[in-house]
Amino acid sequence: MSHAAEKTDLTPSRFVGGEILARYSRMALAVAVVALGLAVWLGWKDPAYFARQYLMNFVFVLSLALGGLLFCLIQQLTRSGWSAVVRRPAEALAANLQWIWILFLPFVGIWLWGRAHDGHGLSLASIWPWADLASMGEHDPAEAHIIAAKSGYLNDRFFFIRAAIYFIVWGSLARVFFRGSVAQDTASPEECVRITARLSRTAAAGIILFGLTTTFAAFDWIMSLSPAWFSTMFGVYFFAATCTGGYSLITLIVLKLRHLGINRAVVSEEHLQDLGKMIFAFGVVFWAYIAFSQYMLIWYGNIPEETTWFLARQVGGWGTVSIALLFGHFIIPFVFLISRWIKRWTFTLAVGCVWMLAFHWIDMYWLIMPVIPADVGSYATYNEFASAYADTASRIGNPVNFLLLLGLMGLLASSTMRRLSTKSVVCVHDPRINESLSFQNI
Amino acid sequence: MSSSQIDVRNRGFIDTDNTGDTPGRRATLVLNMHRFHDVTQQVCRIAEAKRAPVAWYVAFAISLAMVSMLGFCVLYLFFTGVGVWGLNNPVMWAFDITNFVFWVGIGHAGTLISAILFLFRQKWRTGINRFAEAMTIFAVICAGLFPGIHVGRVWLVYWLFPIPNQMELWPQFRSPLLWDVFAVSTYFTVSAVFWYVGMIPDLATLRDRAKGRIQQMAYGLFSLGWRGSMRHWHRYEVAYLLLAALATPLVLSVHSVVSFDFAVSQLPGWHTTIFPPYFVAGAIFSGFAMVVTLAVPARELFGLKDLITLRHLDNMNKIILVTGCMVGYAYSMEFFIAWYSGALYEKFAFMNRAFGQYWWAYLIMVSCNVITPQLFWFKRMRTSIPIMFVLSLVVNIGMWFERYVIIVSSLANDFLPTSWGGFIPTWVDICTMTGAFGLFGVCFLLFCRYLPMVALAEIKAIMPEADPHREHPQ
Repeated sequence: MSHAAEKTDLTPSRFVGGEILARYSRMALAVAVVALGLAVWLGWKDPAYFARQYLMNFVFVLSLALGGLLFCLIQQLTRSGWSAVVRRPAEALAANLQWIWILFLPFVGIWLWGRAHDGHGLSLASIWPWADLASMGEHDPAEAHIIAAKSGYLNDRFFFIRAAIYFIVWGSLARVFFRGSVAQDTASPEECVRITARLSRTAAAGIILFGLTTTFAAFDWIMSLSPAWFSTMFGVYFFAATCTGGYSLITLIVLKLRHLGINRAVVSEEHLQDLGKMIFAFGVVFWAYIAFSQYMLIWYGNIPEETTWFLARQVGGWGTVSIALLFGHFIIPFVFLISRWIKRWTFTLAVGCVWMLAFHWIDMYWLIMPVIPADVGSYATYNEFASAYADTASRIGNPVNFLLLLGLMGLLASSTMRRLSTKSVVCVHDPRINESLSFQNI
Repeated sequence: MSSSQIDVRNRGFIDTDNTGDTPGRRATLVLNMHRFHDVTQQVCRIAEAKRAPVAWYVAFAISLAMVSMLGFCVLYLFFTGVGVWGLNNPVMWAFDITNFVFWVGIGHAGTLISAILFLFRQKWRTGINRFAEAMTIFAVICAGLFPGIHVGRVWLVYWLFPIPNQMELWPQFRSPLLWDVFAVSTYFTVSAVFWYVGMIPDLATLRDRAKGRIQQMAYGLFSLGWRGSMRHWHRYEVAYLLLAALATPLVLSVHSVVSFDFAVSQLPGWHTTIFPPYFVAGAIFSGFAMVVTLAVPARELFGLKDLITLRHLDNMNKIILVTGCMVGYAYSMEFFIAWYSGALYEKFAFMNRAFGQYWWAYLIMVSCNVITPQLFWFKRMRTSIPIMFVLSLVVNIGMWFERYVIIVSSLANDFLPTSWGGFIPTWVDICTMTGAFGLFGVCFLLFCRYLPMVALAEIKAIMPEADPHREHPQ
């Protein structure tokens, strides 16, 4: 046991977020309500586009909470010692998965509305074209023929049943890990050991459930936006993206709590450096590895049924977004985060986190917003296609995007901070807390 | 009173079982030893013994016989041509490339253990890293053999490398086969450097203890004047960390590039985007299985059970379980997306794999790689020596068949039914494959006999005695 560990007073009440976080939580909620109201007011004129913008921001916020859950699962599964002092913010972030299904309800609403109005106006097919094979068959019979073959999977009922399964799995896992960890704050040392052992076992099964549910959720909500397109890597891509967003946000929360002085006594530069390493390894490099592999193999294979997805992302304004991702999501943060001092200095690490969150958001925008032009197959050369769509705008600067982002992030932040305001922000009675306190990088 | 007795009295107990899991208490990784000198003795006596155990001579004789067979097969191939293998049109790659991918895969665990587990601060890696790295290097040698002898005109094999020449003939830089040349040779070089740098302090230990003139000269030469000064250690540790960081991307890149050999093509069953991480997971899976296959007899034979403990084996079996699940995930994604794609040829390729002429190979692959490793969910299975030994062999068989299924079934039944075919291995195919195991065996046995099999210096650093802040029992 190091001297640092011996001296630290580990009373849970010392690390409770308290009134300041409760006030932030209320402020975030107010911002969220105003922003969402404004977004609806501005965006409602084009409901189909608005629905897609909402989907994109929903997936972004969801991926952050999933990243929090992934962090808890991995740390418990690997019996990690260093992370005990920074795990509670991740658990609080993941705990949002218990209510996040509410944000998915608008899609159920759109589905029911569409059914009631027989496809006139907004319907599920306004977002996911496979939901209305009949109208698809009218203007693109070839594609409808392909989609019809997979209607056993891509049909509205099964789609919502699957969504329910995902939310139940995520919500239950998040609940188990948050509750178990919080229970340790007041439990006896023997009980704490038992809880950690139990969570470690749960994490083994949990990580498998997590992998499968996030994969199929990515297929359902993102990949099936272009229903004819497919990639075996897609689930892994989304998984990597949850690391980028989740780990960056966890680090940002830890930094903010440190700034407020709540966990300063226990969280040192050593922990910050390790969090930075996690972002660097999984959020930057692993993501780039997966993104590169997926792109390179499709580009090299050059089969039209696969390349269309990337074609839609390299014409007009989308080309800029793609290049921005290459530099902003990989090259620049790679060079930035590789240095030791960057990860240990609060300011630079915070800059890195905000940067990665921004590019994770752009990544989600890039995944969800582009639509493959229906006539993509009718051009003889790529250049003809590119010039026909040269003025396609990515519309990324549309204020509704940011209002929705602000709104949904506000809800997430409010709920996370409310949880941290009444609980200790450090897992003080984690059996490995001493190891975490005395942890040093080599 | 010797220091060992003091230690024993102070601790009050000697650890004999370290597989228990109590959160908050880290398991002891070195059993029954309380002095650094005990570790030195245990490891060095293998290299210093006048005679190796009888089993070593038996294994060496068998391996040598297999190498002779390999030599004969290779010469026969050179003098006759690649027609002595069962290759044909359309199955132009079969045993050769299967063996290549198999051995490259085996070669993945070493660098994962030495580099990635080092960065993840997994202290248990010190018990197994040295011989896992050795295994990596020998496996990559076996892997390199196969494309080398497959080129047909073996006297032009140097054309694999872009060597400036008068005729301005260059390899095809757009071909993943050339990327393979770079990826595998880089991997081999970096792994060998990493292995060697890690071994220098231990070679110096052997040098200092050596009695014979030849041993003194040989270990002295390769320990490069290591004297174990503070300054040496300081630089050594920095160098080791940097090498670990530089080797880490290689763990991913090599098998990713190997997967590109297949995935950049348009052949159904080969062209699929999940191939790079799927191949990497499979490689780690088979590599760890091979480490278990080797560790189980080695710790028995050379009396290393206190250094390569049941805990180490338990941990490795967990990694086998994890990577086995990843491989199972990849199999399922391939199948699901083949159906989901709606593409006729994709669907056919996978149905054909499972139910076509190679259904038996597919069945072996799935049962060995996905189904049987699930036994490792149970701690009793993970800590049972006979079970883990059998399962590790099963995984190796399964992973060999995985490559066979991918390569042969996709080539045999591609787009045009008129060009379909099949593959039947010849005796040369089978003997070459077997011979490669002999080559691996000879190298590995020589390593076990003459070099420090366990990282002496590193393992001492993880003993409780090395930790200045360790808890002092009252």
